Amino acid sequence: MSDAVLVVGEVEDDRLAPATLEAVGVARQLAGAGGTVVGFLAGSHARRLAEEFARLGVGRVRVAADPRFDPAPPASLAPAVAAAAAGVGAATILLAGTTFGRELTGALAVAFRATAANGVTEVERVSGGWRVTRPIFGGRANERRSLEGERAVVSLRPHAFPPAEGVAVPAQIEPVGAVEIPAALFGPTRTAPAVASGSSGPSLADASVVVAGGRGLRSADDFHLVEELASALGGAVGASRAVTDAGWRPQTLQVGQTGKAVSPQLYIAVGISGAIQHLVGMSSSRVIVAINSDPSAPIFRVADYGIVGDLFAIVPALTAEVRRVRGA
Amino acid sequence: MPEAESRLRPDASGVGLETDGVKFVLAGYDESAVEQALLLRQAVPGSKVGVVALGPPSRTDELLRAALALGCDSASAVEAGVPPLADPIAVALALAEGIRARGSTDLLLFGKQAGDDEEGLVGPAVAAALGIPFVGYVVDLRFDASTGRFAFRRSSERGEERWEAPRPLAVGLQQAWNDPRTATLPAILRSRKAPIARLAAAPAPAGRPASVASAFALPPPRQGAKMIEYDAPSQAAEKLVKVLREEAKVFP
Repeated sequence: MSDAVLVVGEVEDDRLAPATLEAVGVARQLAGAGGTVVGFLAGSHARRLAEEFARLGVGRVRVAADPRFDPAPPASLAPAVAAAAAGVGAATILLAGTTFGRELTGALAVAFRATAANGVTEVERVSGGWRVTRPIFGGRANERRSLEGERAVVSLRPHAFPPAEGVAVPAQIEPVGAVEIPAALFGPTRTAPAVASGSSGPSLADASVVVAGGRGLRSADDFHLVEELASALGGAVGASRAVTDAGWRPQTLQVGQTGKAVSPQLYIAVGISGAIQHLVGMSSSRVIVAINSDPSAPIFRVADYGIVGDLFAIVPALTAEVRRVRGA
Repeated sequence: MPEAESRLRPDASGVGLETDGVKFVLAGYDESAVEQALLLRQAVPGSKVGVVALGPPSRTDELLRAALALGCDSASAVEAGVPPLADPIAVALALAEGIRARGSTDLLLFGKQAGDDEEGLVGPAVAAALGIPFVGYVVDLRFDASTGRFAFRRSSERGEERWEAPRPLAVGLQQAWNDPRTATLPAILRSRKAPIARLAAAPAPAGRPASVASAFALPPPRQGAKMIEYDAPSQAAEKLVKVLREEAKVFP
């Protein structure tokens, strides 16, 4: 089956976000051999960033260069994206399932008169629609859904798909054209850009490696052991609720039901016993390592690899070994 | 949503969740939304907090009464015959119809994601259907009476941004920045007799694009951790790095 697929570009640090590259790869598969993939970008930098789509082999880019998008709430892009999709005859709109994409998907379903799914780990075109798989209940179960109809908006769980590679083509920039956007949608204004909270390095939700610390660290002063291991691995730092409730680290680092849900390639739990509260936020990680002094800690039941022992000895040794093999 | 501690399993059809023996509770994210609304009401004299849920009385009334017991002024149920784990966009369109029927609203608050499906589609779709701007992942929402504007922070992958917005506004909240209050016994008793407004929404037109749950499956169980045996911490570190590289192939 061949199709036109529109990929909504997300901009991060003045570049296309890595998760958008994953969406381009999926779009190629969905579009099929005879289909086309078209990019979408909004804002005053859209024309320049269209070149990044072209470098991946996506030459055609619909651009809404309205400076009111610098920035607008993600959901307020919906009328422009829907117009772009209709303009290129796309049946599928794909987005990265980041905070940006997840907010936009719901609004886009209404504007594009489409069905929708957020945060999928599989998507395929079938007769009469699409079939998707998505983790639910914090990764404790998977749900398959049939998206029935002519049009669908789908956001992809970050890290669930490989980033696209492609051969550069010349950019062919097409304006979205006149779109009527209710002025109210531009009411909210950003008064200050993002300020990284907590540690440096990749953000918790984006990181492919997360090292999280728990009560076993015993004090705020010893939490640096976790941070050093994360830094050696180029990963992000997370914390259990015990740590953030005690004020050792800010709440923004909390992984779990009342914090963030993460699904990195590698999750290392240091001194975390593994309360269900925590497990629902990380159990869909690809590989889980647990380091804990208590051999009966529930964390070992969801972990792939376990080390029972004194984390104050193990973690520094691990940091040193990681630095050694990575040549740092 | 089901209680976090409940054991989940597919129902006999393999499509839905077996609800027998599973306790449904006000989703944590929604509890936080109610708390936020009550805090705003304290700060803005004369304001009122209404709570709306969608579904048959058997599913909505207990949750709505829990919200009334916490201090909400009114409760409405939209009955649209949408089953649990249903099409989130159909849910949103029916909710939008019910909210429009209640009259004008300055602020619509949504829990971050419906706790039971984690789609996060309903809030933005309701706002889009009503023509109201939506901002999600919001923390620390305040209303400045002197300017008539909301001020809040939005939590993204890149950190926290600051935003301002006029009324009307729809907001998806990030949970866990506040401690939801608990209801007192007299309030719980009063809420049992409080009226719940019934709003009917037209059924979704036939042929409308739809999202239909087709299967529900538990992920393959993990085999249990492979324990690393060692004599010295440095040996444990070497062995772990080796298996992560060669066996799990995750070492970056």
